[in-house]
Amino acid sequence: MKRKALPRITRTSALGSMLLTLAVGAVAIGSIGAPALAADFGPVKAAQVDAKKAALGKRLFFDARLSGDAAISCSTCHNPAKGFADGLALAKAYPGSEGFRNTPTLINAAQKAAWFHDGRIGTNLNDVTRESITETYTMNMDMRMMQERVKQDPIYVQMFKEAGYGEPSNGSVRKAIPEYLKTLTSRGSPFDAGKMSAAAQRGFDLFRGKAGCAQCHSGPRFTDDQPHNTAVPENPEIWSNPLRHVTYVSFAKFMGLENYMNHRRDVGANIRLQKADGSNVGKFMTPSLRELKQTAPYMHNGMIKTLADVVAFYNRGGGNDANKDARMKPLGLSSEERANLVAFLEALSGDALTGPEHVWKDKINVNYVAIEDWLNKKN
Amino acid sequence: MKKGTRLSLAVIVIAFGLGSTASADVNPPLAALGPVPVPKDNPQTAEKIELGKLLFFDSRIGGDASVSCADCHAPKQGWGFNDPLSRGYPGVIHWRNSQTVINSAYLGKLFWTGSAKSLESQAPSAALGAVSGNGERDMVEARLAFIPEYVKRFNKVFGDDWPKVNNAWKAMAAFERTLIHDNTPFDKYMRGDKSALTEQQVRGLKLFEGKANCIECHNGPLLTDQKYYNLGLPRAEEWSDNGMAQVTFRYEQYAKGVTEELYRKIKDDAGFYYRSKEKSDMGKFRTPPLRYTAYTAPFMHAGSFFDFDEVVDFYNEGGGSNEFTDGTLASNKTKLLKPLNLTDEEKADLIAFLESLSGPEIKMVTPKLPLYAPLPAATN
Repeated sequence: MKRKALPRITRTSALGSMLLTLAVGAVAIGSIGAPALAADFGPVKAAQVDAKKAALGKRLFFDARLSGDAAISCSTCHNPAKGFADGLALAKAYPGSEGFRNTPTLINAAQKAAWFHDGRIGTNLNDVTRESITETYTMNMDMRMMQERVKQDPIYVQMFKEAGYGEPSNGSVRKAIPEYLKTLTSRGSPFDAGKMSAAAQRGFDLFRGKAGCAQCHSGPRFTDDQPHNTAVPENPEIWSNPLRHVTYVSFAKFMGLENYMNHRRDVGANIRLQKADGSNVGKFMTPSLRELKQTAPYMHNGMIKTLADVVAFYNRGGGNDANKDARMKPLGLSSEERANLVAFLEALSGDALTGPEHVWKDKINVNYVAIEDWLNKKN
Repeated sequence: MKKGTRLSLAVIVIAFGLGSTASADVNPPLAALGPVPVPKDNPQTAEKIELGKLLFFDSRIGGDASVSCADCHAPKQGWGFNDPLSRGYPGVIHWRNSQTVINSAYLGKLFWTGSAKSLESQAPSAALGAVSGNGERDMVEARLAFIPEYVKRFNKVFGDDWPKVNNAWKAMAAFERTLIHDNTPFDKYMRGDKSALTEQQVRGLKLFEGKANCIECHNGPLLTDQKYYNLGLPRAEEWSDNGMAQVTFRYEQYAKGVTEELYRKIKDDAGFYYRSKEKSDMGKFRTPPLRYTAYTAPFMHAGSFFDFDEVVDFYNEGGGSNEFTDGTLASNKTKLLKPLNLTDEEKADLIAFLESLSGPEIKMVTPKLPLYAPLPAATN
């Protein structure tokens, strides 16, 4: 009797939770401007990780054979020595192209609610991994080719097996890399250790109070994972350097935007929240404030070079734009208050994740060793 | 009335079918090459040809902007590529021999298994495929828009406000229709200049049409029937000893959608099978044309033979065997191949004739390519 009823209950609850998810999604998108709910600024909790899968993902992350012409790996733009970003205002991108946005850090990225500066992927890291590997201007890889490259490397064959994935496949690559990304968790910051300087402590008070930063920069990662328009000035390099502008056009065309040849402003989150009145143009996802010391320059387009300049930008009430968030107003911070805020922001940076736990240190032999006695081996 | 018309048409079709079966041995005669066919929807104009030439040599068509059409179809390598397997995209080696572009405008079946029916559809397959250009339509189109010279030329030739990528393929095709090799000694001979061939070449021609029976497949003005055969050619040697070639070999099985069972055991290129998925098509490749072959070695779909001697020896022995002829995966060897018992002199005559199918080399200097430039201010 009970057993018989079970499937129906399961179905109902599955439907219920789906509706709930939808509702939460709707609230999330609709609640821009609502006060931050999760203001518990604790340490970022380390994720549960399967060590063997993560080790496999780590090797893949540092392997240039995952890009179409085998010239760049994930780590080319997400460099551990630069806080898993690249230190550039605008990303390098795949050979033959140049990027039109700043490379975001991958530290704590596993815990985001939506990825890329425009939040266009809101599902999971598996999709983010697929997008980054296959996109023309990032790694330009046909994943079927990637699978066969990986299968050609005996070390991978062994690692996939040990990780429980069986034979290497592109599906497992898209699981292993996210498992590795889950290991990239902030640690060792003065803030988390409760060892902030007095100046940083005063900065924290301003952050939650007078400066109003916590309205968007809330939670352990100091972000509400929502898009906002703070009117960061355009980076003119995107529109004056044809290689960057080409990439933007290619992106906008693929995403189905109208009038893409006449854009001279990055549409940002309008890509996922397209509104006819254009009021979502110029919104970008609130970035995490963790590890800022490692990840200058700042903003989605790298337009601000130092934390002092970032604080000065907000103190001015942000930039100029018709659709700027109404909460962006001049803050009237004194130079001492601004210095305190910078001290606080710096206290959110911890250890560099550059040890063997996070970086594949062995040289990867990217030459494809021929399979011996190929004729008599199963493919 | 209408019904009756249809019925009589059907009768005619059947009769025709029977007739052609009965006369299967009548091969279209060899002939001089005629004028190049031009599709009605892509007429030749001087400006279009010039634009197509620039695009043919422009590496910005390829994924990482480092390979153009002319890298695998290199003018100095017979407008093909002189390794057994084409170089392919950076980081990749191709899995088939790169065929010459010369006279490709006459073919109704392009690529080794006829997967494109026109130059206009061959170009994107090559430009976008993972083992060749690895480009992507939106990106190619975006790049073209940032090259003012192309914007101007696409506007003039096609009326595009911004260059359309499909018109790029059309322009390339128009350029390729100018790469014609129709004035070989053989063509002159067929047009009536009996001094165009040496006596030895004339003997070779007789063998070609007679004892050696090459004409069974290499017939008509193109010297190809554009049908598919399995000659029992050997597999590419690279697959046994080159790791990168092994990667591509498996990739092709995967990408072409074979069953997992076949993916596991196949060790050779199954050719036309990938298109038809009929076992009886395993190992079959489209008969290639023979003009310009003085410049296009190595020969065959996997570049097995480096000169005409090796080719003629192969046919003289009645072809070879592979896993699609010996019963491992199929038994598809064409019945047309039998040992020919050619004497050394006859072989030399045949080779002399093959040499008459090439005239002077078609040379071309890489044109100076227009540069990227920023877009002007927005116009909206």
